[in-house]
Amino acid sequence: MLVALLSIVATLGTRRRLGTQIALSVAGALAYAGTVLAIVWRVVFSPTASAATYQLGGWPAPFGITLVADALSAFMLSMVAVVGCAALVFSVGYMTPDEQRVFYHPLFHCLLLGVSGAFLTGDLFNLFVWFEVMLLSSYVFVAFYGRKKHTRAAFWYVVLNLVGSVVMLVAIGGLYSVTGTLNMADMARRLADPAAFGIGVEAVVGLSALLFAVFALKAGLVPFQFWVPSAYRAAPLPVTALLAGVTKKVGLYAIVRLYFTVFGATRLSVSIPGVGGDSLLAFYGAVLFALATASVLVGGLGALSAGELEGVFAYSSISQIGFISIPLAIGAASSTPAIHRLAVLAALVYALNHALAKGTLFLAAGTVRSAVGTSRLRDLGGIASRSPALAGVFFVAALALVGIPPLSGFFGKLLVFDVALRAEATFGLALLLGGTGLTIAYTTRVWNRAFWGTQTPAVSASSPNRLQLAVVVALAACIVAVGLGFDPIYRFADAAASAAIDRGAYVDAVGLTGGEGA
Amino acid sequence: MTAFVLASVLGILFAAGTFLLLRRDLLRVVWGVTILSQAANVYLVTIGGIVEPSADSVPVLAGHGEHAPHTTDPLVQALVLTAIVISFAMTAFALVLTYRVYQEHHTLDLTTLGGEP
Repeated sequence: MLVALLSIVATLGTRRRLGTQIALSVAGALAYAGTVLAIVWRVVFSPTASAATYQLGGWPAPFGITLVADALSAFMLSMVAVVGCAALVFSVGYMTPDEQRVFYHPLFHCLLLGVSGAFLTGDLFNLFVWFEVMLLSSYVFVAFYGRKKHTRAAFWYVVLNLVGSVVMLVAIGGLYSVTGTLNMADMARRLADPAAFGIGVEAVVGLSALLFAVFALKAGLVPFQFWVPSAYRAAPLPVTALLAGVTKKVGLYAIVRLYFTVFGATRLSVSIPGVGGDSLLAFYGAVLFALATASVLVGGLGALSAGELEGVFAYSSISQIGFISIPLAIGAASSTPAIHRLAVLAALVYALNHALAKGTLFLAAGTVRSAVGTSRLRDLGGIASRSPALAGVFFVAALALVGIPPLSGFFGKLLVFDVALRAEATFGLALLLGGTGLTIAYTTRVWNRAFWGTQTPAVSASSPNRLQLAVVVALAACIVAVGLGFDPIYRFADAAASAAIDRGAYVDAVGLTGGEGA
Repeated sequence: MTAFVLASVLGILFAAGTFLLLRRDLLRVVWGVTILSQAANVYLVTIGGIVEPSADSVPVLAGHGEHAPHTTDPLVQALVLTAIVISFAMTAFALVLTYRVYQEHHTLDLTTLGGEP
């Protein structure tokens, strides 16, 4: 986080000299990646691995602001680091010097700062603050080009998210007044034993439902999805890659963190038809499942009818978020901890796959756009014969999205199916199959329209930018590498999933005692 | 009594904010958002009542000697302060954006702007 902050300052300071600014910015991104690597090593893979915490200002845990880096945060951070670095390097080749000159790089780092802050904070209110940091910079990016459709998209995006922030603030305030704490670990501890702390569980259910709506809005699940396509089409493409690949995951991360780690302990008998279980999670399982179903269908159908590359990918990311939520929903609805863990594991692996694949796809769309000058499917055709490398990248990323072995998507899909099978969720299984069918349909459509067929005049006059091509090829190589060397990734995700489920360890890591082992 | 007044003020604020949010004029929408966030701030303030001070709830009092005055929950005040700053920045940004929308589209009427951007 400090690294990203330093990068902001450094890039702000050098805004008059573009060369220096770009160099500093890229160096900042690399330093960021290095820091993340160090955190990952420290938290997950080193022999004495344990969650790292930092109490800001030295105040002890429930009072001060706590930063927690456990395996779950580290997993999300590494996703940010990969996609963020790639997008930044890409944008050096993609944006014109004029566009990069003033605020692009500081804002980019500001976005990174907000995202990593949201992943690291151990405090509910600071989660809100980091959300705002992240959103404010993303507002500017959506309005970046400042032409007609951009301002309009940005206005929707801003108003929606402002309302979301207000709701979030109300929910957080309410939770504070009900539980008497804002520290997430402390809250988990208190909610595990509501009677001892005099907490009314019913109020928590309502307030957490409000929060849930906000996170679903940030993640772009279906009833809250309407801002996604326009905002993604309006933002500069490298930033869109980051928005789709990473920023959306913040909403999901918050859902996992809060509903599995914090609220999951609350015992409550649920009496909705078709939903069993005695935990708060079961309720959200049903809700999340409905949202995920709608997301998969709406996103898939939208992607089939979109007319631009960005449009297809934006709708597709709505549908993919649905895919990520399905295992979470199934896991939440079941009552065995083993399935909880497996579900989070599946969702994380799938999220990683989506971040890589969708990042690659958006960047590839950017390459097409800056080479050909348009990304409307009508005007594209025959890119495969013009630039085989670009077509190969698209092919790999699309296959990863569909879930063909040995790419990263395969394991994501495999684990998701595994969860559905083990929890005997027949409807979930059918939905997954149908959704995959839709994915195949829209990726094939893009492939046939844009990459095969006869070259249109615009395509045959084009030549892709070297740097951009190098970045997307590197990302595609990442996808293949993750797929081939899946074992460490699996261990990493497994550790992250355990960290998400193990409430006691989280409470202990923050420095509070009395956490119950789950 | 204060609780009733506060509760009804909150209700009115939220209602007014929502009403403005649903108007056709963009400027009114921004006003709606502002009022909504203001309502949320007031709501936050109402959470912290005046309590007996103790080093448990107010850590800074640990170094304050014997005589500490009655305090409200300081955390809530800090939260509201942060929230106000954030909503102020957001409102400023939304206003600038509204101006920009006006420049681009020469209208602030949402029906003329159209639905799907």
